[in-house]
Amino acid sequence: MAQKWGQKLRQLMMNSMDLPQDVIMDLPRITMIGQLHIYIENHRGLLTFTDTELRLMLKNGQLLIKGSSFSIKAILPEEILLEGKIEHVFFINE
Amino acid sequence: MKNQWTNFLSGYVRVKADGRGTERVINKMVKQNIYIWDVKKAETDSILFNIHLRDLHNFRKAVRNSECKLSLLEGRGGPFLFKRLLKNSGFLAGFLAFLTLIFLLSNMVWGIEVKGAKPETEHLIRKELDKMGVQIGKIQFLLDDADDIQRKLTTNISALTWIGVELKGTTYHFQVVEKKQPEEQVKLSPRNLVARKKAVISKVFVVKGQSMVAVHDYVKKGQLLVSGSIGNPDKPKIVAADGEVWGETWYQSQVEVPLSTNFSVFNGRENVKHYIKIAKYSIPIWNFKKTKYKNFETEMSERPLKFLKWELPIYYNTATHREKEDVTREYSVKEAVSKAREMGKKDLMKLLPEESKIVGEKILHQTSDNGKVKLSLHYQVIENIAVGQPIIQGD
Repeated sequence: MAQKWGQKLRQLMMNSMDLPQDVIMDLPRITMIGQLHIYIENHRGLLTFTDTELRLMLKNGQLLIKGSSFSIKAILPEEILLEGKIEHVFFINE
Repeated sequence: MKNQWTNFLSGYVRVKADGRGTERVINKMVKQNIYIWDVKKAETDSILFNIHLRDLHNFRKAVRNSECKLSLLEGRGGPFLFKRLLKNSGFLAGFLAFLTLIFLLSNMVWGIEVKGAKPETEHLIRKELDKMGVQIGKIQFLLDDADDIQRKLTTNISALTWIGVELKGTTYHFQVVEKKQPEEQVKLSPRNLVARKKAVISKVFVVKGQSMVAVHDYVKKGQLLVSGSIGNPDKPKIVAADGEVWGETWYQSQVEVPLSTNFSVFNGRENVKHYIKIAKYSIPIWNFKKTKYKNFETEMSERPLKFLKWELPIYYNTATHREKEDVTREYSVKEAVSKAREMGKKDLMKLLPEESKIVGEKILHQTSDNGKVKLSLHYQVIENIAVGQPIIQGD
């Protein structure tokens, strides 16, 4: 119940104070440059990484990116820059 | 995101992680602030990535108890490049030797060209240059500079009127003007000869014209000595009078000689220091001894160093400290008088035309006060007093 209240408070703040959602709600901010790059902020760690698939942990659920010839250009505690040919981006909610 | 260039400079290592749970290894490293980049899947269950050389220690700690097998593949960037360079230091040494050689060769004298001189004079010049050390194969900045060479050549070789010295690249060019043979005689226009100043005639030597005075005559300034109109007085012929009229003239001069004089003279001791000057900074390279002279004068010379055709902003400087000494010269009154007479004579000779002779000298007045000897001198001089005055014909 308490968590629900917190969620509601945040929603309220967001609506009233006009702050960006990713800051308040801990959502990932995803930037894509065509199909070449994808830049994800606010991730919670690497789950799988292969040539054709990248699976990232988020606060709520997972992010699955599919494509080909993937390589991680850089990875920091909360940011990741992926290069390759990106075809699909899925949000997986449990 | 950090700049890849700095990564390259500080060096990095390519690592291969083999086994299950490679993702967990990456997560662990990322959590411990180990920056990794260029992660790629190699085969099934193995990835490749880069880490900083300086993170290597942390990396070992982070992956100590993981299920993966980790191997360092190769080092890249600055430190590794440097290591390889040291290993192949022969190349480096060769390159440096090459630069040094080019530098030395571009600062050498490669040619001496003498233009406008007769073969004898050219030989003389070359001999003189050899003596000065200006030879093919010498290092330029150790030689005298162009101005000095010019001065030495003009003073040491009497056949030269003027010599231009120019250093173009690695070649010295000498442009020579030799002394001319006697000039042709100027054609004279009709004229009289008149007295330049008052005198008593002592000798008359007329080449052309009518002499108007005799020996022992007293003449005033501007008086006619040799007339340019000759022949029948009714129908004179106008010529350019030529000749010499020697007369005794008189001069008076005042000479003052102090009894004691202070001079500052060089005593021959000197201390030469060598510097290399880069931009504004002089770096001493030879002779670090401090100049201990009490009084000295400093002479600087600055020679640019060259590389191929460019002048480098690097100079070879020498500073010469020459010791000075104060000398006091004392004269007795007698000595001062004789010195004064000498000086008076010398000064007078400078004023007089060549070939004049001082025949008599008298001291009119002599005083000595305030440590000075004052002389009033009188001279009798035999000199050529004739000077041309053009005849203006009324027509």
